[in-house]
Amino acid sequence: MDAVGAALTVSLAGLGGWLLLRWVSDTLNPACSTAPGRAPFAAGAPPGVHAWSRFHARYYTMALLFLAFDMEMVFMYPWAVVFVREGVTALVEMLMFIVILTLGILYAWRERALEWA
Amino acid sequence: MTAQLGLPASLALVGSALVLGAYVVEVLDHAIGRVVSGHFEPVGRTLTIPIHRAALLLLQQTTTTERPDAPLWLIAPAFLAGLAAAGLAIVPLGPSGALANVEAGIVWFGAVGALVMVAVYAHGWAPNSVMPLIGGYRFVALALSYEMPLALVLIAAALPARALALPVIVASQADLWNVVRQPLGLPLYLIAGLGLACRRPLDFADSADLAGGTLVEASGVARLAWSAAKSAMLVAVAAIGATVFLGGWLGPWLPGPAWVVVKTLALLALLVTAGHLVARPRLERFVVIAWVGLIPLALVNVFLSGLLLLL
Amino acid sequence: MGVRRWLAGLAAGAPASVFVVPGRGAREKVDELRLDSRLHFTESPRATTILLLIGEIPDALASAARSIHDSMPRPRATACWRAGTSAPVPSGFPDAVMVDVREEVGTVLTRLQSALLRGDHASEPDLLPDIDPAPWRGVGPHGQGGKGMTGGVPYGRALAERAHDRDGLELDQLPVRIGPLFPPLPAGLVLDLKVQGDVVQEVSLGDNPFLSFDAAVVGTAAGPNPFELALSQPVPISVLELARARHHLVWLAGALELHGVAALGYRARRLAAEIAPERAGAVRALGRLLEGTRSLAWGTAGVGVTDGASLAEVPPGPVSRAAGIARDARTSDPSYLSLGFEVLVQEEGDARARWRQRLSEALQALELAGRAAARWSTPSGRVEAPRGSLTAESAPAAELVALIPALLPGLDWGDAVTTIVSLDLDLEEAASRHAASAV
Repeated sequence: MDAVGAALTVSLAGLGGWLLLRWVSDTLNPACSTAPGRAPFAAGAPPGVHAWSRFHARYYTMALLFLAFDMEMVFMYPWAVVFVREGVTALVEMLMFIVILTLGILYAWRERALEWA
Repeated sequence: MTAQLGLPASLALVGSALVLGAYVVEVLDHAIGRVVSGHFEPVGRTLTIPIHRAALLLLQQTTTTERPDAPLWLIAPAFLAGLAAAGLAIVPLGPSGALANVEAGIVWFGAVGALVMVAVYAHGWAPNSVMPLIGGYRFVALALSYEMPLALVLIAAALPARALALPVIVASQADLWNVVRQPLGLPLYLIAGLGLACRRPLDFADSADLAGGTLVEASGVARLAWSAAKSAMLVAVAAIGATVFLGGWLGPWLPGPAWVVVKTLALLALLVTAGHLVARPRLERFVVIAWVGLIPLALVNVFLSGLLLLL
Repeated sequence: MGVRRWLAGLAAGAPASVFVVPGRGAREKVDELRLDSRLHFTESPRATTILLLIGEIPDALASAARSIHDSMPRPRATACWRAGTSAPVPSGFPDAVMVDVREEVGTVLTRLQSALLRGDHASEPDLLPDIDPAPWRGVGPHGQGGKGMTGGVPYGRALAERAHDRDGLELDQLPVRIGPLFPPLPAGLVLDLKVQGDVVQEVSLGDNPFLSFDAAVVGTAAGPNPFELALSQPVPISVLELARARHHLVWLAGALELHGVAALGYRARRLAAEIAPERAGAVRALGRLLEGTRSLAWGTAGVGVTDGASLAEVPPGPVSRAAGIARDARTSDPSYLSLGFEVLVQEEGDARARWRQRLSEALQALELAGRAAARWSTPSGRVEAPRGSLTAESAPAAELVALIPALLPGLDWGDAVTTIVSLDLDLEEAASRHAASAV
């Protein structure tokens, strides 16, 4: 609980400091918001539509691949701690697991799942 | 050490480390840029120019866009700076520990690396403008690619220490630094770290082809805070790298904290120089290199380190 | 107010943050200004304090500049440097500070910025009227400007519509009009893009703002363009070749800035400013460095590939030579033949081949200039200019601009920008022959 409390205090202190800085800056330069001043940057011509949209994140196949590896990473943290104690068993077991996953990378690469444009 | 220092002193220390670190990165960046371009200037000017620029930004109005996600936009730089602080706080300055003694330090920094994605994406999404939006989505693709090599090289460093805590990892390097024991580790870590800190040459989120990417709509103090937070994140990357690969506080003559600072500065200089000499690759090219090159290399690093330990 | 004065004193040492609007006759002036360390050229109006109008600003560019001006944070100001042209003072910028001499630009702009920050120079008000892009306030059940999810114009703008995509999904397609003042791209280039995700799906070219001039100006205030002169009269080959090397190095500097290595770009810019046959060693060293780090190649290889069919309309020049088409107007000039001139080519036709082509042509130009002695060009109505073959009726830039709509679709944003920059476009040159034929 001590660490959580400290982290919370640090976060609140940081946020407080940042809001104070923003407040000082906004006092020095009072906000002056007009329609042409709010127009999003499009290099001269105002944009026709809102930028917020159902953005096509084309790397979604790569993101799926990442999910598999992210899980593997979670297994590896405790594995690293007990590795020396468990010895060759730990090495071989993790190696088998990783080799299978790595074959997945090669398959994804061959299928051009890592490129999108 | 938190207990020894007390919370207010720890807060002040982390805060000043963030600000000072960001200043040092700006000075290094400016100085090395001048050396690379062959356009020298007086040292005094190099030391003061980040201050001049910061004062200019503090005096500029903070503009907004038509329909931004204002709370998200407000918090994004503070979030990134907070993540940098979270990284810096676990760097052990001596055998007695760090400001925050986290037992699973490596998992902690991996989490920082993952949450950076949220901060940068939020910064790109919030203004409701096309260039920042593309920058934010691009960063997600980059982050999904650097995250694995980053975590894997740190895990490899945990093997000889038999622990995830950074002080133990430093102590395990008393005979031989990890940079020698695991020669693949530091280069892979630094490449991933450039992505994590969103720095050139992997500055896909804030790059010139998007006219500044997620920074396009940021003005005044908001722009200053974002740039400073990015620089502070680079300091955190360098400090963790110095701890995990260069033996942290270990070294003759100087006291432990001084060694941490010296090694961090050395890594910072290396990272900043790379930013001035190496051009930004294509994003897809980097993604392929990361998955087909960096991740397998990082795995080789893990298993070779493990094998050497068992022999 | 004490804090403000103190900060203003600190900020006085900062370079002036300038957003440049390059009008007619400004291109080379802007390149000179980029060497001035008192100026910082911004990519976005949100980081800018001073809008700098250079040369003769066509109307379309001026109206874009006004909207850029209004999105700049306060305090802000406008400055105008006519760069030795006889341009009229641009209308619509009532508070613009005039700068007359090249040497004064840096001083005047840094002083102007200091005065703005101290409050001694009043910040400019908006130039455009404070009106929403479309009426929306109070419309809809929640006053959000529309009905349902996608009806109406919330906050005055529509929402993106769905469109088919090549991978079978139906997702939103953003219509983006980019330009004419998008800093990574040549000034004046207007593109209407349909962007889905970060991939460009459709491209059409907007109007070239420089077409609004009704008379062509040959050359600039810096002196007549030697390549234009060489159309009708002999010009020393050393002059032509040094101008070519300078042009390619300035282009390279811009490309390096785009790829994130602005410090190397500065080095290229300095080499361009001090161009002389003796600097060939330094140019070669820069080229070796770029090849050595491999990284520029990683950013450009395989991007924007042109082939013989797409280049059929394009006059011979570095772009077509980078695709293996060994044609060069210099081969028909006896003076060049007596120097042993040989056409250099690359094979791949991508953006990497184009920068390598320009770099090797710059080196070749320096070498030719060093050996040219007193040789003069032979006018034949066709001159090999840095962008390609120039005649009295056609300028290569116009055909290069026309390549864009076919090259861009399917590329992601970064590759699209890399492709456009690698073509070395100049909208002013593209408009020059059009204006001449219209008169």
